[in-house]
Amino acid sequence: MLLHRRIYQFLIIYAIGLAILLLIKYGLDLSDYVIPGPVDIWHTGTEEFERYFFDVLNTLAVAVVGQVISIFIALLVGIAGRQATWFGSFIKVAAYNVQAYPIVAIAPIIFILLGDGLLTRLLIAAMICYFPVLLSVIGIMAEPVVDIEHFYRVTGRMRWQLEVKIRAFENLNKLTTVIVGSATLAMAGTIVAEFIAANAGIGYSIRVALYQSNLAKILVALFLIGITLSVYQGLLELTGYSVRKWWAEK
Amino acid sequence: MSLHIQNLTLKYPGSSNFVFQDLSFELKEPGFNSLFGPSGVGKTSLAKILTGDIRHFSGEVDHEGMKTSLYSYNTERLPGWSGVGKHLEKITPAGRQERREELISIFGLEDSLRQRFSQLSLGQQNRVNLLRYLFQDFDLLIMDESLANVDEPTREKIILRIKTLYPQRHFLYISHNVVEVSKFCREIVVLRGAERHPQTIVIRGQDARIDREINKGRLDQTMLEIVNASS
Repeated sequence: MLLHRRIYQFLIIYAIGLAILLLIKYGLDLSDYVIPGPVDIWHTGTEEFERYFFDVLNTLAVAVVGQVISIFIALLVGIAGRQATWFGSFIKVAAYNVQAYPIVAIAPIIFILLGDGLLTRLLIAAMICYFPVLLSVIGIMAEPVVDIEHFYRVTGRMRWQLEVKIRAFENLNKLTTVIVGSATLAMAGTIVAEFIAANAGIGYSIRVALYQSNLAKILVALFLIGITLSVYQGLLELTGYSVRKWWAEK
Repeated sequence: MSLHIQNLTLKYPGSSNFVFQDLSFELKEPGFNSLFGPSGVGKTSLAKILTGDIRHFSGEVDHEGMKTSLYSYNTERLPGWSGVGKHLEKITPAGRQERREELISIFGLEDSLRQRFSQLSLGQQNRVNLLRYLFQDFDLLIMDESLANVDEPTREKIILRIKTLYPQRHFLYISHNVVEVSKFCREIVVLRGAERHPQTIVIRGQDARIDREINKGRLDQTMLEIVNASS
């Protein structure tokens, strides 16, 4: 249900975007070179579909690995930073300050140091989605669920594992939303990395299409990015829903 | 075991008003006692001072012979990932399974054990929450509206059985129900607000028990004293 909703929402938005472009084209009488007609877009789609589809999968794979790494690290740091100790405060302040900086601006340094390989794309993807996830995890983990935790605290049963479990369970909806949102960031990070310098992925293909001034190719790439990301986010939402259900019924 | 409070003064940081100013009272014997007073008068703050959750006060708080003080309140929840029965089993100290089963029967919660906490009515939730405190180690248990939303006959049954089962423990029952505190409590500490002197008046309640009928005339008298003290 969630998956269907995500997909048709994307299709509606894409169709609206495309309709606006075509309105501009026909309204201003622009040539096919500037904005291609529907037939051109369709032909490009059939020609490039397979290649772009695998490019998107390539990008998505990097984004997923980057996202998993960033979620894992954010959970570790968020759990460590949840306490009202100097270490916790230090982590919180550092996270808030660092996230204020546009991480994507650091991308050129990473390319200079690591070159244009898989590691660079992965690192940028992870960095871009890491800080929003970290801030949310710290926010969730540092906020006591007093009405549940009180009993464990006053009877001397509270352990850090239980504290984390209570806070994660009570905020599973928020955590799922954050993880779903971070998928977009990871994908954006990977595409940006591929724009700047890479020799694989859909970002690289868009860069090539850009040099050719081929809007049809870009539109096909955007369609595939959108539909793939919608499916991935829908699957993440379904996973979050299933985890909640399983945990509650255990 | 006695509870002795002398010249207790409390003001929250950033506030210009005192919550307590030179508040003093004493509860000499264990039993079912009450903290009574209008909302906002400081009942919960006093409870938290007694359990050590609030420390920025001046004055003397002496819980002679009381090692463990617990504070329970009516909006507490159980974790959502386990059923009520499973949770109660998990938090039962070794050797107290029999007491747990006895309390479950007294509280009328046999049918709630298979359910999730969120599936219970508010009255059932409050009973489950109070019940789990009763088989922990404690010398003083503060029950802050712990039986709210529980029907009157069940509440009466629970209070009377608690009094029978734990005659040597201190209970401080926070309630706004003047009939209930007059009837069941041994001593009622009426909190009157920091601007009034004395800030507390301790009134002798009827201390109803399973084996002791109470006199209606005396009950009316106690209720009147409480109303007069708090107004």
